[in-house]
Amino acid sequence: MFSEADWIALRLTLQLAAIVTLLLLVLATPLAWWLARTRSWWSRPVAALVALPLVLPPTVLGFYLLVALGPEGPLGRITEALGLGLLPFTFPGLVVASLIYSLPFVVQPLRAAFEGIDEATLEEAAALGAGALDRFFSVVLPLSRHGIAAGGVLGFVHTIGEFGVVLMIGGSIPGETRVVSVQIYDHVEAFDYAQAHGLSALLLALSFGALLLLYTLNPRLRSV
Amino acid sequence: MDGIRARLIQVRPGFTLDVALTLPGRGVSALFGPSGSGKTSCLRALAGLDRLPTASVWVNGACWQDSDADVFVPVERRRIGYVSQQAVLFPHLGVRANLDYGWRRRGRPQSVRLDDIVALLGIGHLLERRPDTLSGGERQRVAIARALLADPQLLLMDEPLSALDAARKEEVLPYLEGLHATLAIPAIYVSHAFDEVARLADHLVVLEHGRVRAAGPLPEVAARLDIAGGFGDAAAVVFDARVEAHDAADHLTRLRFAGGTLDVPLRREPVGATLRCRVHARDVSLTTQPPQATSILNVIAAVVVERLDLPGGAQCLVRVDAGGTPLLARITARSWRQLGLEPGRAVWAQVKAAALLG
Amino acid sequence: MTLPVRRFCALLLIVALVPASANDRLLLATAANFKPAMEELAAAFRAQHPDVSIEPVYASTGKLAAQIRKGAPFDLFFAADMQTPQELVQEGLAAAPVRVYARGRLVIWRAAGDAASLALADLADPRFTRIAIANPRHAPYGARAVEALTAAGVWTLVQPRLVYGENIGQTAQFVHSGNAQVGIIALSQAREPELAQRGSYALIDDALHAPLDQGYVVMRRAADRPAAARFTALLATVAARRIIERHGYTVPPAALE
Repeated sequence: MFSEADWIALRLTLQLAAIVTLLLLVLATPLAWWLARTRSWWSRPVAALVALPLVLPPTVLGFYLLVALGPEGPLGRITEALGLGLLPFTFPGLVVASLIYSLPFVVQPLRAAFEGIDEATLEEAAALGAGALDRFFSVVLPLSRHGIAAGGVLGFVHTIGEFGVVLMIGGSIPGETRVVSVQIYDHVEAFDYAQAHGLSALLLALSFGALLLLYTLNPRLRSV
Repeated sequence: MDGIRARLIQVRPGFTLDVALTLPGRGVSALFGPSGSGKTSCLRALAGLDRLPTASVWVNGACWQDSDADVFVPVERRRIGYVSQQAVLFPHLGVRANLDYGWRRRGRPQSVRLDDIVALLGIGHLLERRPDTLSGGERQRVAIARALLADPQLLLMDEPLSALDAARKEEVLPYLEGLHATLAIPAIYVSHAFDEVARLADHLVVLEHGRVRAAGPLPEVAARLDIAGGFGDAAAVVFDARVEAHDAADHLTRLRFAGGTLDVPLRREPVGATLRCRVHARDVSLTTQPPQATSILNVIAAVVVERLDLPGGAQCLVRVDAGGTPLLARITARSWRQLGLEPGRAVWAQVKAAALLG
Repeated sequence: MTLPVRRFCALLLIVALVPASANDRLLLATAANFKPAMEELAAAFRAQHPDVSIEPVYASTGKLAAQIRKGAPFDLFFAADMQTPQELVQEGLAAAPVRVYARGRLVIWRAAGDAASLALADLADPRFTRIAIANPRHAPYGARAVEALTAAGVWTLVQPRLVYGENIGQTAQFVHSGNAQVGIIALSQAREPELAQRGSYALIDDALHAPLDQGYVVMRRAADRPAAARFTALLATVAARRIIERHGYTVPPAALE
């Protein structure tokens, strides 16, 4: 039912989602922790910035990324100076775009989980001899595992469904940046509705399954 | 140098904390006062949970904080045991893992015996349970055991019984008393309940509005009228007595103290053992003549020292001296007048009940 | 009358009036790439026929066709290819014949000044790390670009370095932003002021690919509308031809009847 091109697109999509999710869990954790515990005024603009991809049209994000990461954009000049070349039309470029686009979906559940941790519990751990990093790994992470799971699943599913940003900076290169969402779009544009149906159904099943798993394991999930 | 010396200053809108503490290096020191008097602030500052901008803390010769020299040892490096009001056990760990938490981080000290502490707090049957299945009293005992297992050099307890109901309190207090008996390290015990303090403390610091009102050995401070007057029904004196003899037939034990003897219900302690006695002011009445034909066993000769009127006007607190041991009696103002009592007058103090503490 | 009733009547009146004005309006479904030219043609038409209201609507050919099939009330359809309008004729939605109104040309476009000397064969040079074309699967200009590259004999060398825009607009944007060093786009685009100021182009020999004929049809519903006939008559004039050519198309002789 699926063509070779479809399978390649699917593999690419899953790779992108997996890498982005892992990177986001690593990057979002300190950010979410800071947002949850700080009393600095800066947390407000930073939180708004993080949440921006939730409300911006993805095409706007993609468009600005294309310009910024291009040879004359500020970020493009940096990547070139670092010897990394230019990011648009590359898989790493998609990763960067997806990191920005899916960031709030990972940060919000993490932040909610961190906010739910009682200060008294952390003081208790400190009084028993646990330093800051120790407290984080021995108390915060275990008590936040629901939030972490939610962040991971949401980041993954969200990245799978990403379209607008990818469309703007991907260049639709088969095997490199032509992910399933773009592949479906192409099928529709070319009036290959049967193919479009097939891939869409697959994406739907994948995303639904992941979310179902999440809500089954986290019946009390309130942050999403 | 032994002991705990601290100078703590904190200015907040509506509340200023300004205390100087000198506490012994052994035994239980109580920080006592009403809510809002600054006791918990002091304890948290001593623990290092709050860093006061102007403070110095020296514990057994080691400097934990000196704001002038910009020295501050973070809480995780002070070897303390901290027990808070709400027993904060780690919900994601079982009881045994909770107990291990501090012990492992202090290098698994072999000098600390898990079995002894478990027995001391009576939690052996709880080891395989999870915190959310424990009662309040059980959780508090586990929290205390966990603090002790971390091999602290100072134990800090912030009203550990105040969140428990009366029955649970009674359940935990004996363990604390047992702790007091066996603890080799100093402990600081914060409470607003004088009953607890009287049972547990050796040294008493009374705080009021962020300042120290009185500090000293418990028997001395508790007997001060100006302090005792604020304790309400709990006003009492505390003193040590020696077991002199047992009377198996009448099931009584005779104790001797500086002011005389006390007959109390039979005790198991051998002759010669020292017991701490607590006598509530409400259990002491005064008479100007040696009483005859009375059911009260314990009549102590004493001399009136001074008197304090109690709020309400009906009663007053009288301090008498029995051979060097102060006793407090709560009588009516009318009785004081009718008996013609005055400082220096010889009286007899009738002690209706004496509690014996471990 | 009570207030709610009055309001309802007012609403009815407005609703009744709107279709009345729509009936006079000529709706022209137009392929997006033809927009600049169509705007000028529409202005010329309005100048000559102030009593007729015309409204061009711009989107990609495929989308417009899909809308038409779902009943969108267009009167004329200006597609970017010949095949789509022919399909509509076969489906009975439009009247034969499909007429060519413009023929596009492909160009090699660079966002720098040196494209004029380039030929397709030069694209094999490895210095062009990214070459942008429109997605050949659903954009006619993309399909023609593939034909041209193949005919020029450089397809296998160039193919690994291609990036695909979803339409020629996005293709141009890839090159304009500098992310692709060179692209194959429409001459009509390269003539746009925005692109013309910034870059340069080289015409691609149109013998290398099938003609990029863009055809129009009169929809069934407009068969009896005199306004439609007047617009198609305008297309045949010399003035119209000049407008179309100025925007980077040619008008094949067969269109001038």
